[in-house]
Amino acid sequence: MIAEAFSFPEINSILRWKDLFSTFNKIALIAVAAAVIGSVIFILAGRKNPLEAPKGVRNLAETSVEFIENGIVMQTMGKDGLGWTPFLLSLFIFIYLCNVPGIIPFLQMPATARMAIPMFLALLVWVIYNGVGLKHQGIKYLTNTIWPPGVPVALKPLVGVIEFISNIIVRPFSLTVRLFANMLAGHILLVTFALLTSSLITAETQQFLLKPMAILPFFMLVFLTAFEVLVAFLQAYIFTILTAVYIGGAAHPEH
Amino acid sequence: MEAFSHLIGAAFDQQQADADKAASAAASAGFAYGLAAIGPGIGIGYLVGKSVEAMARQPEAAGMVRTTMFLGIAFTEALALIGFVVFILIGL
Amino acid sequence: MHSAVVHLQAIDWHGSTVHFVSAAGTGEAEVAVSKDPGPIVPEMKELAWGAGSFVVFALLMRFVLFPKVKKGMDARYEGIRSSHETADAERSSARAEVADYEAQLAGIKADAARVVDAARQTLEAERQATLAEVNAGIAERRTAAVAQADAVRTAARDQIHAAVSDVAGRAGELATGRRPAADIVDRAVSEVMAR
Repeated sequence: MIAEAFSFPEINSILRWKDLFSTFNKIALIAVAAAVIGSVIFILAGRKNPLEAPKGVRNLAETSVEFIENGIVMQTMGKDGLGWTPFLLSLFIFIYLCNVPGIIPFLQMPATARMAIPMFLALLVWVIYNGVGLKHQGIKYLTNTIWPPGVPVALKPLVGVIEFISNIIVRPFSLTVRLFANMLAGHILLVTFALLTSSLITAETQQFLLKPMAILPFFMLVFLTAFEVLVAFLQAYIFTILTAVYIGGAAHPEH
Repeated sequence: MEAFSHLIGAAFDQQQADADKAASAAASAGFAYGLAAIGPGIGIGYLVGKSVEAMARQPEAAGMVRTTMFLGIAFTEALALIGFVVFILIGL
Repeated sequence: MHSAVVHLQAIDWHGSTVHFVSAAGTGEAEVAVSKDPGPIVPEMKELAWGAGSFVVFALLMRFVLFPKVKKGMDARYEGIRSSHETADAERSSARAEVADYEAQLAGIKADAARVVDAARQTLEAERQATLAEVNAGIAERRTAAVAQADAVRTAARDQIHAAVSDVAGRAGELATGRRPAADIVDRAVSEVMAR
């Protein structure tokens, strides 16, 4: 007979933390820390002698630069897009460093599991790719966006509505939700299995088999933590590559 | 006296209604997420399977296929995630 | 109700007014009226801090940090490429030197072969000359010896001829009492000796 019932805490209690100051909370702390850590890595990397073989922090910085250049920019925008490398690089590093605290002990909260940061980044990306489209194609960008080149006249009303919704509304929405919901789901999963483990261990029960059973959710917790490492990287990568695709598509509509 | 008991009864009814609403919301949230996960699940499985096939046939194009695969997964997965957000909104 | 209050204080450090399904005791659900925003509503302070730190980070990256690292990378790649080119140039010059050396070697070998050939030919000529000289000497000597032998033989023959002619003339004189003519005896002796 289990004496205590297991129940999931109210969702805000696992997402909202006590304010550090009235205008500064844990999410803000993680975001600031992400920016600071990213800057420090590149400051330290910039100080090392660039002519030696890179190692340590410089190697890390150069690997990330090459990852963005070869893995994202060259794959989606081609050589013309190399000017976007610093923006995409800072986007990738910032999102990754905001995701990773979800699995770091005692922090245990991805900053992107709150709506604010993904929403801001998605809106920023939306402004940027629309701006790039207007700059590169002028006013034709609007018609090209709504009617991709080569659409039959008869389909124009239908395609126009669909493309407008998909390009202007769904894109920033899905960018936001993809990042936010992935990190939130991962966080909730971790909380669930951590709570399951702790409530099995602390259960006041006569059944001697119940407490050792806590090892099962604990294994699941470890596995999910490893999985979240992958998810943190993958979501940063996907956000960045989608940004690159959107910017590249706005700059060159024929692609 | 009667008015007072009526008030209490109304309050009780209100509480009961809230509890019912919460229960049905929780149930429908579960259904919503379950249904939302079916399509993207099939889609991602199909997508990754085809990508692996393509990579096995043409290993030299693996990088391009992988990038495109991640893009496709991102678009497909968005549907499941919208379902998850709906689950959060109405269930919790 | 009381237990719920205790619980609320216990998890208060999460911030905000926590409403929590009471786990302890009766299992009675305690639903407090929440003024919390929903879980997907963005909070202003998070938005401001997140946006601010990202914008600062991105600008810093764009104008200061990235160019420096990138310049270093480009410099190193340029260095690597130029040293590759230097290495290529050195390799080709080394190859040219090797070819040069081999050409010289071939020339020298040809020279040496020519000298050896010439020496051999000289030697051969000298040998031939010496041989010819020696042969000539031998031939000369042989000729002289043959001539001498011939002379001796001729002399002996003449002596024999004279002696036989004398004897034959004498014998004819004795037999006939008259000395035969010398030329007849000579012819007869010559015919006998040539037989």
